[in-house]
Amino acid sequence: MKFTTYLWERWKTILLLAFAVMTTEIFLLTYQVNGFVHIYVALAVPAAFLLGVFLEYHAKKVFYDDVQGKLEQLEEKYLIVEMLGAAAFTEERQLMEILAETGKSMAEQVNAHKHIQQEYKDYIELWIHEIKLPIATAKMIIENNRNAVSESIGEELNRIEDYTEQALYYARSSYANKDYRITKCHLPDMVNEAVKRNKQTLINQHIRIVIENVDAFVYADAKWCHFILNQILANSIKYRKETDSEICFFAEQGKESVVLHIRDNGIGIKASEVPKVFEKGFTGTNGRIGKKSTGIGLYLCKKLCDKLGLGIELDSEENVGTEVRLLFPKNSYFGEGH
Amino acid sequence: MQKILILEDDEKLRYELEIFLNRNGYETEGVKHYEQALASMVQSDAELILLDINLPGADGEYLLKEYRKVSDTPVIMITSRDSELDELLSMHYGADHYVTKPFNPQILLAKIVAVLKRSGGQAVCDTVDCGDFVLDLSKSRIETGAACAELTVNELRIMKCLVKNRGSIVSREAIMNDLWENEAFIDDNTLTVNMTRIRKKLEELGLKERIVTKRGQGYMLL
Repeated sequence: MKFTTYLWERWKTILLLAFAVMTTEIFLLTYQVNGFVHIYVALAVPAAFLLGVFLEYHAKKVFYDDVQGKLEQLEEKYLIVEMLGAAAFTEERQLMEILAETGKSMAEQVNAHKHIQQEYKDYIELWIHEIKLPIATAKMIIENNRNAVSESIGEELNRIEDYTEQALYYARSSYANKDYRITKCHLPDMVNEAVKRNKQTLINQHIRIVIENVDAFVYADAKWCHFILNQILANSIKYRKETDSEICFFAEQGKESVVLHIRDNGIGIKASEVPKVFEKGFTGTNGRIGKKSTGIGLYLCKKLCDKLGLGIELDSEENVGTEVRLLFPKNSYFGEGH
Repeated sequence: MQKILILEDDEKLRYELEIFLNRNGYETEGVKHYEQALASMVQSDAELILLDINLPGADGEYLLKEYRKVSDTPVIMITSRDSELDELLSMHYGADHYVTKPFNPQILLAKIVAVLKRSGGQAVCDTVDCGDFVLDLSKSRIETGAACAELTVNELRIMKCLVKNRGSIVSREAIMNDLWENEAFIDDNTLTVNMTRIRKKLEELGLKERIVTKRGQGYMLL
């Protein structure tokens, strides 16, 4: 807010004033009044006007600088009205009322959307809960009627189950509620679970599994970790080499964390695409050529890891393989041996 | 024959569960009316109960809590809720196991076997008599009248698989599946090596050519 600008914006008043002063001077000339009065009118009236405008400008500047300052400090800018005291001028009072009104209306809108979102999340969770029953029944039917056809349907059913689970975790990852429970987990159990879950494909595709030195305890939510490991393993299976594929698990005890490595000798990822793999909807060259990718898997892994406080990193070399590292912090808060 | 009581309100799933359990050597009894769920649990003479958490007009966790006041019969909870809290609550009320839908039927079966074994309902048979040799599961070896051969863990599992399906072909995939389920993630080559070793051990005991290779199909124990 600059005074010159403020003044220029009042040009109509200035013109009127100039007109008034000039006409007054003409009258004074006509009636042959004393020269001092001429000078007085020509100087005092504009000076009084200028001073008045300046005082007004100053008061407003103080007020708006205060608003601006508070706005900059505020994290949630829409709460600005709550931060301000009563305004001294009518215009500002009116402005405050408008602000308060818009703020209120916005808060209502936001709350309505929050409500809609929560309802949608609840519905997704309910739906996933419901869909599990027909999947379970279909699995039992397949088990009771084993043949080539039913087993093939069974594989598709497993895919449906995977996608369903992904939707559940997607819903969970997007909301602030704390759906997880950190416990002491045995790393080999988690790895074995993930491998066992994918055993059908791993055996059929003759993929070798090597598990070395994973013996460690970590603090995490077992179910979320199971989901994350399953996503990583599913990627290794999907982007495998045609022959002689291998997926290797091993753990490393760092000073501040236990690092689980999941390394495959698959087709790998282009160097230029590696930094983008955790982005939502990123499919990359591999995802577009032949292997259908949704670009959700790793994005979700990253999001879930962030929530759990785990680290996740990915290295890859094209035609050599990919390594994903999960970092479980050794948090002093949890402590060893409790 | 051991009897399993099934409380699952989805008729189709209950029906398929009964077929599955019957085929695996269990007698089953399905509860159809859930107004008297607790009474039917108490009156049943089953050795094990499969209990769904979401039942019409009754809550599985509540049923379990009440049931535990009068009986110690093992109970496996089946549910599509997968929160840690539900699992904790069930275990707290005295469930012996907790299975989430959709479950792998073989894993459910394994859990049933394990729970029944623990509850001591059945004397565990740890030797299998195969006529001219005996497979001793607890000592992990093959015995004939005169001699015996020690088996490694994997070899024992493979033998168990073959003995169980004696006279019919067992595919390599089926054997690997069984091994993987027991967390021995062996590859094709290792399986071949194990098979050769088992054959050699059988031969040393004078049991020649007892395992036949069916090309492209699998193995068969004669």
